[in-house]
Amino acid sequence: MSALEWLAAALMAGGAFFYLAGTVGLLRFPDAPTRLHALTKADNVGLLLICAALALLAGSLRQALLLLLIWLLALLAATVSAHLIARHAIGDRDAAGDREA
Amino acid sequence: MNHPEVWILAAAAVFGIALYGLIVARDVLRQVIALKVMGSAVFLVLVAAAGPIDGAPDAIPLALVLTGIVIAVSASAFALTLLVRLAEATGSTSLDDGDGGGDGR
Amino acid sequence: MDLAVDTLLALALVVLAGQSLVGGALFRAIVMFMVFGLTLALAWARLGSPDLAMAEAAIGAGVTGALLLVAHWRLQRLRGTPAPEAAPAASRARARLAAAVALLSAALVAALGLAAVQAVGPGGIAGQALAEALPATGLGNPITGVLVVFRNLDTVLEVAVLLAAYVASRAVLGDADAALPPAQDAPLADALVAVVAPLTVVVGLYLLKAGGQSPGGAFQGGAVLAACGVLLVLSGRLRAAPAGATLRLALVAGTVAFGAVGLGMLALGHPLLALPGTWAVYLIETAMLVSIAVTLALLFAGSAGLAGGRR
Repeated sequence: MSALEWLAAALMAGGAFFYLAGTVGLLRFPDAPTRLHALTKADNVGLLLICAALALLAGSLRQALLLLLIWLLALLAATVSAHLIARHAIGDRDAAGDREA
Repeated sequence: MNHPEVWILAAAAVFGIALYGLIVARDVLRQVIALKVMGSAVFLVLVAAAGPIDGAPDAIPLALVLTGIVIAVSASAFALTLLVRLAEATGSTSLDDGDGGGDGR
Repeated sequence: MDLAVDTLLALALVVLAGQSLVGGALFRAIVMFMVFGLTLALAWARLGSPDLAMAEAAIGAGVTGALLLVAHWRLQRLRGTPAPEAAPAASRARARLAAAVALLSAALVAALGLAAVQAVGPGGIAGQALAEALPATGLGNPITGVLVVFRNLDTVLEVAVLLAAYVASRAVLGDADAALPPAQDAPLADALVAVVAPLTVVVGLYLLKAGGQSPGGAFQGGAVLAACGVLLVLSGRLRAAPAGATLRLALVAGTVAFGAVGLGMLALGHPLLALPGTWAVYLIETAMLVSIAVTLALLFAGSAGLAGGRR
């Protein structure tokens, strides 16, 4: 493998590690907001590393830019979904707290 | 596509699990999900069993499965509309009469 | 190496199917089903079909997931209380019967599938004929060729089935519209829709245009546009309304265009549904795109039509 391919492999391994870290956070953290925290941060960085690796191996600049666009769109979607889920989860928790009070 | 056997066996297992879920389920929503999963398993068998032509996948089973996916979603949409109407009309989301060993009517 | 990836994916499919079917909360089952659909999309990619992968992700996991979730929400609203956490257990006799039937059917499917793998060998006669006849149609994507040119009777009927599902849903619902979740009032959701909706339209139209020569097509593009419609409905930019003339035209456009071209060719002395040229393919695909997008979005909304309106 050439140096470029070694670099891409290293980036992909880094991305896989970040995904693993995010999943560990999902399984180990106690409630929804902390799990979201682990997932969104780790998974987005992991996706960036994987997209970077694929961009290095891509055939043309166009493909590399498309991969960057994919990462940006995934970032946008993950951000908004995490926000909506957290609102829902914290809303439930506040409602439960009001009922107890 | 060098090892279709893996996909065939997986599809058979998925079909069996889905059929089990279909019979055992009380809730119609679960039955709709089970039917969809059964359909997906059949599509998988269809595509996995197709041989390649000059290296490219055979396009005719692929087109048939694409048609099947769209028809499955149409049928599911209608089934879910019926389910919501059933719940409105009778208050229950189950078609069972009761626990009569599965063949009560 | 290939075998390892395939085996892992196949195992994931089996596990996810189990997770989505037996036991657990209903919401969890629906989400697991969506994950199953996405994993199946990966399986289609491994089996050499990007078209199917896109269609499964957009239609099988995306639109079906949205339909299931909104049905679940409507049922919960009717029930007045959250759904029970676990499915009530079936009787022992029923479970035993189900297990026996499931094992037998799985064995039958496996036997049929493995026999087909042995029997088919490298490529069938119809596939060879397709590969030879495809360049004459001016299309580069064999699946589009099969769908619109060679076996287009199936596709006409398929679009008609989609229309029939809409008509049947209207018949069941009567004059009432199905309930929709209240519009999200989070500021980020507005920003998401403002950015994503135009991009989705571009992607949908590109998939239509690209479908002639490379993976893509009217179905994938239509599903992407329907997803945009779902997003607009959920954010309040589209609301339930009676079906206007334009909307009715859009609903029947696919079936009518295809049927008109096909019957027109018959009237002119050619075989039924023999298309006169590549322009006919693109015309029909565009009409189908519009129909599919509008029908799927309306099936989600459960209303006769949709109209613009800020909440």
